[in-house]
Amino acid sequence: MSGGIGTLREMREALDSGGASSVEIVRCSLERAEATQPSLHAFVGLRAEAALREARESDARRRRGEVRSPVDGIPIAIKDNIVQAGEPAGCASRMLAGYVSPFTSTAVEGLERAGAIVIGRTNMDEFAMGSSTEHSVAGPTRNPWRVDRTPGGSSGGSAAAVAARIVPAALGSDTGGSIRQPDAFCGVVGIKPTYGRVSRWGLVAFASSLDQIGAFARSAEDCAWLLEAIAGHDARDSTSIPEPAPAFSAALGAGVRGLRLGMPKEYFEHEGAADAVLGSVRDAVAELERAGAQTIEVSLPNTRLAIASYYAIANAEASSNLARFDGVRYGHRTANANGLTEMYCRSRSEGFGAEVKRRILLGTYFLSAGYYDAYYRKAQQVRALLRADFERAFERCDALVAPTTPEVAFRLGEKTADPLTMYLSDIYTVSANLAGLPALSTPCGFADGLPVGLQILARPLDEAMALRVADAFQRITHHHTACPDGFA
Amino acid sequence: MLIGLEVHAHLRTRSKLFSPAPILYGAPPNHGVHPVCLALPGVLPVLNRRAVELAVRAALAMNCAIAARSVFARKNYFYPDLPKGYQISQYEEPLATGGWVDVPAADAADGAGRAAPRRVGLTRIHVEEDAGKSIHDDAIAGADATLVDLNRAGVPLIEIVSEPDIRSAAEASAYLRAVRSILRYADVSDADMEKGHLRCDVNISLRPRGSSALGTRTELKNLNSFRFVEAAASAEIERQAELLRGGGRVQQCTLSYDPHSGRTSVLRVKEDADDYRYFPDPDLIPLLLSADQIARIRGEIPELAEQRSERFQRGFGLSEHDAAQLTASRATADFFEVAATQHGDAKSVANWMLRDVAQALKECGTALEDTPLSPDALARVIRMVDERRVTVKGAKQLVSELVRSGGDPETLVAERGLAAVSDAGAIEQAVREVLAAHPEHAARYRAGEHKLLDFLIGQVMRSTRGKLNPGALRECLLRALRE
Amino acid sequence: MARITRAEVERVALLARLSLSEQEALRFARELDSFLDYMDQLAAIDTRDVGALAQPLVLATPSRGDDPAAAMDPGLVVANAPASAGSAFVVPKVVESEAEG
Repeated sequence: MSGGIGTLREMREALDSGGASSVEIVRCSLERAEATQPSLHAFVGLRAEAALREARESDARRRRGEVRSPVDGIPIAIKDNIVQAGEPAGCASRMLAGYVSPFTSTAVEGLERAGAIVIGRTNMDEFAMGSSTEHSVAGPTRNPWRVDRTPGGSSGGSAAAVAARIVPAALGSDTGGSIRQPDAFCGVVGIKPTYGRVSRWGLVAFASSLDQIGAFARSAEDCAWLLEAIAGHDARDSTSIPEPAPAFSAALGAGVRGLRLGMPKEYFEHEGAADAVLGSVRDAVAELERAGAQTIEVSLPNTRLAIASYYAIANAEASSNLARFDGVRYGHRTANANGLTEMYCRSRSEGFGAEVKRRILLGTYFLSAGYYDAYYRKAQQVRALLRADFERAFERCDALVAPTTPEVAFRLGEKTADPLTMYLSDIYTVSANLAGLPALSTPCGFADGLPVGLQILARPLDEAMALRVADAFQRITHHHTACPDGFA
Repeated sequence: MLIGLEVHAHLRTRSKLFSPAPILYGAPPNHGVHPVCLALPGVLPVLNRRAVELAVRAALAMNCAIAARSVFARKNYFYPDLPKGYQISQYEEPLATGGWVDVPAADAADGAGRAAPRRVGLTRIHVEEDAGKSIHDDAIAGADATLVDLNRAGVPLIEIVSEPDIRSAAEASAYLRAVRSILRYADVSDADMEKGHLRCDVNISLRPRGSSALGTRTELKNLNSFRFVEAAASAEIERQAELLRGGGRVQQCTLSYDPHSGRTSVLRVKEDADDYRYFPDPDLIPLLLSADQIARIRGEIPELAEQRSERFQRGFGLSEHDAAQLTASRATADFFEVAATQHGDAKSVANWMLRDVAQALKECGTALEDTPLSPDALARVIRMVDERRVTVKGAKQLVSELVRSGGDPETLVAERGLAAVSDAGAIEQAVREVLAAHPEHAARYRAGEHKLLDFLIGQVMRSTRGKLNPGALRECLLRALRE
Repeated sequence: MARITRAEVERVALLARLSLSEQEALRFARELDSFLDYMDQLAAIDTRDVGALAQPLVLATPSRGDDPAAAMDPGLVVANAPASAGSAFVVPKVVESEAEG
C-alpha cells in the first residue's frame, strides 16, 4: 500500500475483500506515523512490535472467519492520557516521563475486544489542559492543513493523525472541547458522547465531572463503529451510565427530513466569532434545510456565563485530581530536597508545565476557605442554569446546530501569552461538557483555507441523533473528504 | 469542662471502601493494595455496599437519624500515606446525625460520687477511608527516610463525633467503652484498639469558673488505648487549668500524648493554613438511602445490649442488675449464654460469673474474652459443685486457675487434689470430734431445734478446711445425731 | 487595583505544594487578577433558588459487593516508584511539624 490510510469503511472493505491484510494496513500506518513525525509530531510513542503482532492475530482470525467487529484489524491511535497495561501513559508531562501503566483502560479493553489495533499514543496538551497541543513536554503538534497553525487541543495529536491519513480513527478525551475543537481545526469528524457513556476508568483525570472519552474519524459512520467498541456501562466507573450502549451505526442513513434543528442565537451572535466561520456554518445549515430539516432559532441565555463556570469547576477539580502527582509512588521526584514539603514542592514544580501549574493554582484558590461559595458553588449553580437552558431548547427541537469554534486554527504561539484569551475561545464547546450532552463536530467548509467545524448537539444519551444529522450532512456534502495537501 | 470525642472505627469488611483491594492486617508493606489504593493515574472509586450497610447499622444502634442523601467529599491535603492527595470523607452532608450513647452508671462515676447514668449526645456519624501508614522508626526506615505502607489506605471507617457532653477524663474512657460495646454488639467492627480498629481524638476545653464563655479547644490526636484516653485527658485538663490559673491563654492546637512522660505536647498550632478545601467528590454520586433500605438494615442489626438484658431477665429469670452486668460486653453475654444453656441453671451460672469469675478477672487484670476460660469449662465446674464432687471453695480455686491458664477442669481437680473427701472413716471421725466439742448444740438438735444442723455442718467444714464431700458429711452427721 | 496580594499567591502555592520563582509568582498574581475580574460576572447572577449541579446526570447510587480482588504483585506496586525499600515506598524523613490529617 502507498499513500494515506483510507477511511475506516475503506479499510474494512479492503480487509473483507482480501485486498489488504491487517498487517499491511498497520505497517503502512506505522510507517506513515514515522514519516510525518518531523513535520507534524502527532505521536509521543508508537508500539510497532505489539501492533504488528496483534495485526497478525487479526489476520489469522479473519482467515478463520472469526472477525470480531467492524474495527477488527484496524489501526487506531490513542491519546497519551488513556492507559494500556505495559505501555507508557505520559500525559505529555515531564511528571509522568517513564511511567508505565500496570492496567488497561475500559476504552482500550473495548478496542482490544473488538480486535482494533493500537499503534501508538498521540500528543496532547499536558494533562489535557490546553486548546492547542502546544503545552506538551514533547513539543507541539502541527496542523496538517498548514504547519504554522496549531491542530487545536488538547487532543491535537489524535486529530492531526486522522487528518493526515495516518490512522482512520483515534481516541481522545474532551473536557471542554478537547475533541471537537481539534476536529474543527483539522477538518475531521469527532464525537464527545454523553457524560458517562464511555467509562473513565483508565482515563487520567483532568476534571472528573466533565471528562469524557470520544472518537475521531473521517465520517459519522466510522465514529459510530469506534464508539460501539468503547461505549457501555462499566462498574468500575461510578459515573458510568447503567445502560448498554445502543448500536450507534444503526441510526445512520435516516436523513434529516422532518427533524427540527435549533440554532442557538447566542452562538450565532457571539461577537468574537469570525464572519467567515459563521458564514460557513450558516451555509451548512442551509444544506440541511434543503435536505428536509426544519430550523428554528432557540435561546441559551446563560451561554455568556459558560466559560466562567467551566473554568471554576474544571480547575477546582483538576487541582484535586492532580494532587496524586507527588513523587511518592510514581512520577517525577526532584533530585535534591530537604524534607518532605520541599520534596513535594520541587517535584511538582519541576514535573508540571506552566499551564498545568496555572490551573492548579487557580483551582486551589477557588476551593480555598472563603472563596468556595463565591466561585465553586456559584459555578455549579450556573451549571444548573445552563443545563436548564438546554432542556428548554430541546423541548422545541431534536438537535442543535452551531459553530464548533469562533475561529479557524490559530498560529502556534499566537495565544500562549494570554491564557484568558485562549480560554475564551472555548465558548462554543464547554457548555456540552457542563450539561453532559453528546456533541459532535463535522467539517463544513473552509475559511482562509482552513477547515471550519459544524457542531451538532443532542439530548443526553442521544448520540444517535447527532450522528444521524452528521451522516445526513456528509451524504450531501464533501467537506469531510477534503484532504490537506501532501497527505493524500 | 467540656470534652468531646471523635472515635474512628474500622468497619468489618473484606475489601476496602472504594477499592476492591483485600484488607490484610499484619501483611508486609503494600501486599494488600490495588491500583485504586495507589491512586495510579486513571483509577476511580466505587463504593463498597457492605461498608455502607455496616455504617448505617452502627448509626441506628446509636440512635442516629440516617440521611436519605449523603455526599462524599474530598478532604485535600498532602501526606505520604494519603495516596490521592485527598481523603474521601463526608463533610456537609454526613450519613447520620443526632443520636446518643448511654454510658452505664457504674462506669460513669466521676469521682464526685455521682453515679447517675450519663447520656452522651452524638453530633454525627460519617463514613470515610483510612490512610496508610508512615513508618518513621529510624531502626527500620533509616535516619533520613520514612517508609510508606498503603495496606491500610482505603480501609472503611466510621467517625463518630460526640457532643461536648463528657465531663471528666474517666467518663471519656467510659464513653469509649460504651461505644466499643455497641460496635461489637452490632457486629460492625472488631473495635480492637490494640490493632488500630478503634482510634480516638479527644477535644477538651475548660470553662473558667464563673464564666459563661467557652474556653479555647485543644485536640488530642490518635489515642489508642482506654488507659491513654483517660490519662491523656487528665494531663491535658491539668495543663489547661495550670495555664489559666497562671493567667495564661489556651491556644488552639493539636496535641499528642506521651505515655512515658504522662504529658501532652503540642504537635502543631492550628493556623489559617489548615485549609482542606472540601468539595463533593465528582467521581462519586451522592449516596441515596430509601426508607425501605434503612428498614432492611435495621432488621439485620443483631440483638443489642438492652434487648439482650431484657431477654436474660425474661428467659433466664435474672434480676435487672445481674442482666445488666452480664450484657455489659457482648463477649460476656455470649459466654454467659453458652454456659447457662449448657449447665441448665442460668441463675447459678450468673452467680458464678458475677462473683467468682469476676473476682478472678479482677485479680488478673484481664477481660473475659482474653482468658482461656471457656463457657463449657465453667459449666462443668459448676456441675461438679452441684454433684458435690468439689466443694465451693475448691471450685473457686479451680475458676481462678482456669482464668489464668486454662485447662480441663476434671484433670485439674485430680492434679490439685481438689476433689471433695468422701472417705466414710475420715468424715465419721470429723463428725464425732465436732459433736464431742459441742455437746450442748447436739442435745438441742436432738430436742427438736433442727436449724442447728447448719451450724454443726459449718463446724465440721471449718475443722476440715472445707474439703469434705458436703452430701456425705450431711448424711453422716444426721446419722450420728440420730444415735 | 490588584486584589491578589503576593502573600495570597504564596498561600495558594503552598496549599498546592508548588514552589514559584519570583517571576512566576508575579505573573500568576497578575493572571489570577484578570481571571477573577472575568469571574465577577458569576457574582452578578442571582442563584438563590438554584441548586448546585455537581454531576451532569442523575443516577442511582452505584456500589459494589464486598468481594476482594486479588492484591497487586508487590513488585509491580513499586515498579514506578522513584524510591523504594523492599515493597515499601521511601520518602524523605517526615518531621513532626509536617504531620497532617
